[in-house]
Amino acid sequence: MAALLNLAWIYLRIGLMFVGGGYVLIPLLNHIMVEQYHWLTLRQFLDGLALSQLTPGPLAMLATFTGFRAGGFPGALVATLFIFLPCVVLMLTVGRHYHRLKEIDLIKNTLDGLLPAVVGLVAAAAWNLGASSLSGATEFIILAIGFAIFKWTKVSPMLVILGAGLAGLLIN
Amino acid sequence: MTRRWYNCCMQTSGKQVGLADIFLTFAKIGITGFGGGMAIVALVERVCVREKNWIGPEEFLHGLAFGQILGPFSLNVCTFTGHHLRGVRGGITAAVGFILPSFLLVTLLSWLYFTYNKLPQLQAALKGTNPVIIGLIVVVALDMGRKQIKGFNSSLMALAAFAATVLLKLNAAWVLLAAAAWSLGLGIWQRRLK
Repeated sequence: MAALLNLAWIYLRIGLMFVGGGYVLIPLLNHIMVEQYHWLTLRQFLDGLALSQLTPGPLAMLATFTGFRAGGFPGALVATLFIFLPCVVLMLTVGRHYHRLKEIDLIKNTLDGLLPAVVGLVAAAAWNLGASSLSGATEFIILAIGFAIFKWTKVSPMLVILGAGLAGLLIN
Repeated sequence: MTRRWYNCCMQTSGKQVGLADIFLTFAKIGITGFGGGMAIVALVERVCVREKNWIGPEEFLHGLAFGQILGPFSLNVCTFTGHHLRGVRGGITAAVGFILPSFLLVTLLSWLYFTYNKLPQLQAALKGTNPVIIGLIVVVALDMGRKQIKGFNSSLMALAAFAATVLLKLNAAWVLLAAAAWSLGLGIWQRRLK
């Protein structure tokens, strides 16, 4: 029990620190898990990083992996719960005040004014993902097919992604 | 100034969305959104803005802006949308629904990893999903852009944000804070002129 409380406290602090930017998380967790507590070797840490990036969840799913190593299933559960607690509470707070803040003209105009930047960031994400994962002609063909389906049909995007995953397994 | 803003906030008068519906929807997104990050955002946009009309496009983008400033934005966007529908309970339901599949998957994979000391061969599947995810994000960016980018100023801001991220590798949170400062300054300056 004391060990789980300790885990909860560690991950809560990490959760508080990575509000602001996801990539703080990697050096931070590496320091705590590998150097401070010796729960993982560096090799295991890197494998865990790759493993948590296989899932749809955020990079912070690394907490589940390291928590599992430190305390089995309860450890994984506690780590996941507490690393995400701060950002969920923060977003709920933002949500609560959002509608009231939006009534103020200056704030509403500022929010509306930065929307083009948000769109730019979405496009940048596509670019960065493409730069790191598009290498062959096959991939560009899959990209074009996906684009066409999403643009001009109403097929559920989830089905398309699952289909593409299956295709990836079969081709490779 | 358009007034469409107000239209999308009026849905409180309509039928309330059930918590179970919220949970299942975000769990499905949490199962299929391989690629994480912006892939999730694009999926939530397709499902919650387009298909279900749960949240207006501008509100969704505001939530995304807040979410990017406040850490793991894929999760934050889910929390924000859930909160918009059913308050605190809705937000927590959406967050749990979205994280649960990944949590179970990582737990299972961790168990396999620490038992057999080998990484599972799932990378092959990602080779298929990654290009499709990019296609989805591009479509969402185009749709958003057609609505939000009008005129010289907004095109310039979108391009600057894109370039700052791709070329200068700046953190999204800083890009958005800079855009907010610029937009606030512009607002105050225009008010002075009146």
